[in-house]
Amino acid sequence: MSKPILQIEKLNKSYILGKRNVPALTNLNLTINSGEFVAIMGPSGSGKTTLLNVIGCIDKPTSGQVLLDGIDVSSLPENQLYKIRRDKMGFVFQTFNLLPYLNARENVELPMEGRLKSKSERKKKASELLEMVGLSGREEHRPQRLSAGEQQRVAIARALANDPAFILADEPTGNLDSQNKQGIIKLLANLNLTQGTTIIMVTHDSQAARNTERMLLLKDGKIVKEIPGLHLGKKNQTCPHCGGSIQTNDDICPNCKKAIYASDELF
Amino acid sequence: MGIMNRAIRNISRRKIRALLVIIALGFSMAIMVSIPAGVLANQQTASTAATNLGNIITQTSASINQTSTQIDCSLAPSFSGFGFQDFGGSTTSGGSGFTAGQFGGGSGNNGGFRPGQFGGGTIGGQFGGGAFSGGQSNPMNESLYSDINSTISGVAAVEPILQASEGQNVTTTVSFNGYSRDITRLAVNYTIEGIPLTSDLVDNYPILPTNITSGSNLQAGAIGEVLLSENNSAYFNAGVGDTINILNQPFTVVGIYNPSAVSQTQTLFMNLSDAQAITNNTGYITSLAVFAENADAVSGVATSISSLHPELTVTTDQARLTQLQTLQTTYNTELATAQSANSQTYSTAVEEIIVVVAATSLIVLFVMLYTVKERTKEIGTLKAIGFSNSTVMGQFMLEGILLSIIAGLVGIAIGTVAAPTLASALLPSVGIGGRIGPGIAIVSGTTRVSGLSVATLSPELILILFGVAVLLGTVGSLYPAWRAAKIRPAEAMKYE
Repeated sequence: MSKPILQIEKLNKSYILGKRNVPALTNLNLTINSGEFVAIMGPSGSGKTTLLNVIGCIDKPTSGQVLLDGIDVSSLPENQLYKIRRDKMGFVFQTFNLLPYLNARENVELPMEGRLKSKSERKKKASELLEMVGLSGREEHRPQRLSAGEQQRVAIARALANDPAFILADEPTGNLDSQNKQGIIKLLANLNLTQGTTIIMVTHDSQAARNTERMLLLKDGKIVKEIPGLHLGKKNQTCPHCGGSIQTNDDICPNCKKAIYASDELF
Repeated sequence: MGIMNRAIRNISRRKIRALLVIIALGFSMAIMVSIPAGVLANQQTASTAATNLGNIITQTSASINQTSTQIDCSLAPSFSGFGFQDFGGSTTSGGSGFTAGQFGGGSGNNGGFRPGQFGGGTIGGQFGGGAFSGGQSNPMNESLYSDINSTISGVAAVEPILQASEGQNVTTTVSFNGYSRDITRLAVNYTIEGIPLTSDLVDNYPILPTNITSGSNLQAGAIGEVLLSENNSAYFNAGVGDTINILNQPFTVVGIYNPSAVSQTQTLFMNLSDAQAITNNTGYITSLAVFAENADAVSGVATSISSLHPELTVTTDQARLTQLQTLQTTYNTELATAQSANSQTYSTAVEEIIVVVAATSLIVLFVMLYTVKERTKEIGTLKAIGFSNSTVMGQFMLEGILLSIIAGLVGIAIGTVAAPTLASALLPSVGIGGRIGPGIAIVSGTTRVSGLSVATLSPELILILFGVAVLLGTVGSLYPAWRAAKIRPAEAMKYE
């Protein structure tokens, strides 16, 4: 469980805007172990999306090293990177990004096309994954007939299609109401606990973030703080202040009456 | 769920857009189908027109050189409309006479015939009631005119003709202002035309009718044979192979012809020597047909004949000659027009096809570019979840090609039906006289050049055009698909 799945060393990423060089990430170091559930938080412009893009191999670092499952992806060309994206990771987007003209199962099958040749195998696996995210019986429904929460579940099933090393989730609860938000966080936490799926989630929703194992606070392109999370789904959660027993949804510790995560602590 | 399936679903997902593209492309394809079909049809029209015109020009030239080189020579008709009483006949009505030329029976020779004795001393009969057979000439002594052939230059041949009619004198009484007068005229049963059946004249000059409806024409040197008109055949109640008596001489009917002129309806043809013998006119003729060597020599020959034989009325077919020459000029002009129109068709077709090909490619290009732009996020998503550039590119290429294939089929369907209309609207007309497109018969004046059937599309042409449609779809999709492949996967992260 402690094997590092992602190692980032001295990562720099800057954009050129006109003639100005705008640094997005500076000297960033980060290690994430297999099986972790990590939230990356930070205000707008802090570099969290850039970091996610670099980890997701859809943006290249200016300098530094990114080791994904032992592979240095910072120097790989595009014709190799798509395979890393396909085989090593699964993307979950804020806007779900399902293909509207494909039904739930066909959407889940999409990433398998480049790997699994057999049609029936793909179909079987997709149905299993949809069952895992709680959508059995909805395989033939197209996205417009699914609720927002259901669409995100399909997207999560799709992200899992190729048994990835980790899931990259970009604001996965950003477009959901509170009930669906809870459901999706619970689903991700359960996947992490039961399947051992490594999940890296970018969010600015502290409610969602505190239910991960570890929260990384990003500011001006650097990780400025690490806070342990509650990890929704784990039993015997304790107050970070007094060590007393707390419930998952408690904002304030019933024992010491302190806010469990004060907003100034997060940002 | 493969790439093909997705392409089909993407096309059907945007039905109206697909329909518009298919209609636009289909129309382009229809034009592309029609233009080559039209070019082929025009080519056919032009070549048919050229062939037909060529034939007509040849025929016209032949007519100019044969018919119109003919110069008719005869003695002046004696009296217009009135001949002389049948002197030998005892009565003025019902007498059976035989007239050569405009001349009644000879004096004293009851029932006989004596040409050349015109005006002979016994004109004592009642003037004014004579036999009338209109338009024929007075008898001429054949030997007097042999100098035409021997002394006048530019003469190719001379055809001495003896024309004689047989009939009954019919007398009618005409009353006017209290006066009455009997008028006797000859009701013609048949007219003999004796012509010299020499092989030179028979083979090279239009001396015999050409429209033989049964049997055969008179051959050179034929003796005792006769060619009847259809009216003659009815009058004699005789067909090909029968023997008939003409002036008590037996003749074998070799053929029956359909007269080309009203004046010929009762004319039968035989050898000149036969005609002279049975009418008792050996050495006499009624007219001469002189053939000049060519059309240009006609007037000179006519003048020479007139000065050599001032007594002759010399008639040239100048009017017909002029008409034929005008026709020939017209045909030559039309032939040139058809040929230039045909070459213009090619250049126009090439220009139009270039425009249509460019337009078709541009339609595909813009539609696919729009599609790519509209689906940027989808493409970003596909790439983020592990689609390669080539797969994405293939996906969009396939969509463009599929659209083109459907449009190509629609276009060929439209084109097959509308090809003649489209082609005649798009291509310069080819043909003679007026605007004529493919599939329209060509009529010019009295000349009808064979009509064409509707432009037909050969399977080869359809296959080629289908290939062109697919090619255009491929070319038009290439750049948009490349653009799609270049879309960064990070686009998937963007909130709408």
